[in-house]
Amino acid sequence: MTVPEQRQGERVPAMSLRGLVKNFDTKLAVSHLSLDVPAGSFYGILGPNGAGKTTTLSMAVGLLRPDAGQAFLLGYDVWADPAAAKARLGVLPDGVRLFDRLTGPELLAYHGLLRGMDQATVDQRARELLEVLELGAGNRTLVVDYSAGMKKKVGLACALLHAPRLLVLDEPFEAVDPVSAALIRDILQRYVAGGGTVVFSSHVMEVVERLCDHVAILSDGVLRLQGPLADVRGDRSLEEVFVQVVGGRVATGSELAWL
Amino acid sequence: MTPGVMPFVRLKLRLLANGLRGRPARIALFVAGVVLAGLFAIIGYAIFAIPGVADRPGAAAILLPLGGAGIVLGWLFLPLVFFGVDESLDPARFALLPLRRGTLIRGLFVAALVGLPALATLAATAGMVQSAAQLGGVGAAVGELVGVLAGLLLCVAVSRAVTSAFATGLRSRRSRDLAAIVLAMFAAAIGPLQLLALSSAQRADWRAVGTVAEVVGWTPLGAPYGIGLEIASGRWWAASLKLLIALAAIGGLLRWWSATLENAMIGTVASTTRAAVTDRDPVALLVLPRLPRNRFGALVSREVRYWWRETRRRASLITFTMVGLFLPISMTISDGSPGAMVIFVGALAALGLANQFGFDGSAYAANVTVGVPGRVEIGSRAAAHAIYTLPLLVAVSIVVGALAGQPGRIPSTFGLLIAAYGVGLGLVLPVSVRTAYAFPASSNPFAMSSGAGPAKGLIAFGVLLGAIVISLPLQIVALLLAPVWLWIGLPVGVAYGTAAYLIGSGIAADLVDRRAPELLAAVTPNR
Repeated sequence: MTVPEQRQGERVPAMSLRGLVKNFDTKLAVSHLSLDVPAGSFYGILGPNGAGKTTTLSMAVGLLRPDAGQAFLLGYDVWADPAAAKARLGVLPDGVRLFDRLTGPELLAYHGLLRGMDQATVDQRARELLEVLELGAGNRTLVVDYSAGMKKKVGLACALLHAPRLLVLDEPFEAVDPVSAALIRDILQRYVAGGGTVVFSSHVMEVVERLCDHVAILSDGVLRLQGPLADVRGDRSLEEVFVQVVGGRVATGSELAWL
Repeated sequence: MTPGVMPFVRLKLRLLANGLRGRPARIALFVAGVVLAGLFAIIGYAIFAIPGVADRPGAAAILLPLGGAGIVLGWLFLPLVFFGVDESLDPARFALLPLRRGTLIRGLFVAALVGLPALATLAATAGMVQSAAQLGGVGAAVGELVGVLAGLLLCVAVSRAVTSAFATGLRSRRSRDLAAIVLAMFAAAIGPLQLLALSSAQRADWRAVGTVAEVVGWTPLGAPYGIGLEIASGRWWAASLKLLIALAAIGGLLRWWSATLENAMIGTVASTTRAAVTDRDPVALLVLPRLPRNRFGALVSREVRYWWRETRRRASLITFTMVGLFLPISMTISDGSPGAMVIFVGALAALGLANQFGFDGSAYAANVTVGVPGRVEIGSRAAAHAIYTLPLLVAVSIVVGALAGQPGRIPSTFGLLIAAYGVGLGLVLPVSVRTAYAFPASSNPFAMSSGAGPAKGLIAFGVLLGAIVISLPLQIVALLLAPVWLWIGLPVGVAYGTAAYLIGSGIAADLVDRRAPELLAAVTPNR
């Protein structure tokens, strides 16, 4: 998987956030966040729990209205021209935001028709995705009865169905077993190799270090670091950089002596 | 060291306070809830005090046991069907704490006593104490006070035990769905039954009712409320027996609750049965026959499936079916003309959509991500609802026409129904976008978010009232032009209803287009 980094400047960024701000009640969730995701990159957004990853991604894809700032997807302003931006975008939202009283095949057909695809294409792609993701094209179990990993996979299938140019995934590897995770990783790497862009959030260093060519580190709603993985990491491990940037403490051994 | 009950009570109050902090809308709803509870308390007190003030022991002997039994039944059914139970102290959250079951039950029980419904019930039934005091002096008053307190405990125990047993005791989702349906049907049948009882009471002699009251007074439902009256008439043995009955019932319910609590704390497991496998194409599986295989068809089909597959929706659909059929029938039987009830039923049909986006919850994000235009979104939801409702409205008009012995009136009755349904939709659709709220993500299909559950019903009630008022001109025209109305009723009603629907759905579609993210935030739980 290689992405020509030198050509970034010639292309429109796949995702471009400008000064995003979001307040919940009195808490500042995201504070003046700006970042660019180069087209064709595999971009990881890292941050501890509650850092504002989900809030940021929700604002970027048009699910949550920012208090200030702009978000561009593939050059289209999400909040001014939502239709154009959303047509080229696939999203795996956080948690289980699926119509889970449908079966897997029904859910895929729903997403396909909602995207305005024709029936034959929907049928063909849905079957293929269900087979590849080992969900079963004829499985009539309701999605609500799926395991957590299966829910993630069917959500990913919904996001991929219309062959978007940009994939935004919130915690795609959370609660997924190693076998399914390997499968998902494989599919995403092939997708990026084919010219697509993936932006995903995670708090697992190993996954990000292994997959991404670009990373951003978020904490307390502020963007601490961003750039190509090699630049951010330097000659240290990503975990060391992360803990230092986020300002976590390292156990010295003197506390919790009673344990 | 075992904690007492105070930590539970403090936890409950703290949760209530935190739920209100910094949220003006919730505070407003809470205040509305307080006002409603206050009204209930005052009216209840007045009604139960009347027999004493008027010095009518006979009336008291009927009113107290029957009224008390009604209140207990209300505690049993209202949470299950309309308001939900306050899940702020979810037993599952205590699963990991080292608490003995007895401690937990005591704590949860006392915490359940803290709240507006319990307070309002206590205040309302306190009217019985005044009645007893005026009929039998201090001794009777003290006895009735004990009875009223026992009654309150009974109310809370019954609601906790039954919701716990039904909601979480049945461990698979399918049987839980089934339980919801059975309960919805049972509860929906109560309204019509009460109407029948009322109309028979109007005709029948009071001695028959007195006998019923006597019998009910010896069941756990009415027993606690009769204690004071028994003392007033000098029957101490009966008073103590009734107290014993009430206490035994409370004890039994608490034991039952305690037994089912175990299941509630462990949670539910998914059913392990493998679903059937099919080789039909995904699109053919989703889209209903004869619907277009495009965006609109997909939306309508999804909605239609959801009305059947989702417990809350199905419960509301079944409740409406029962009320919609039985109300006009019992009215027609009792006085021969369904009258304004037709408009009521038509408007009530539309109310099923009052929180239609709340049913979806955060899954609505899928439609926002795709950017479904408001016109399509609203239109498809109304169409899916109409697929269920229209056949029912046809059935109502046929049944009403046939029962009244005037088959010629069927088309014009249907016209009125359609008009009221259209007006109801016209009001409900914008309201459903503006006042959407989230159902809690609880395993209990009857759960409502804590705070001011009853007040949320107020919005729906307002819509109902509005729809009836707006449909009234048509009803008046129908009365004035009675002979002609038989012929023009259907087209005029359809036109009236369609016009109202078009206006309302236009406003709603515009709202969805402008406020889709805000709508999503409103229906997402825990935000």
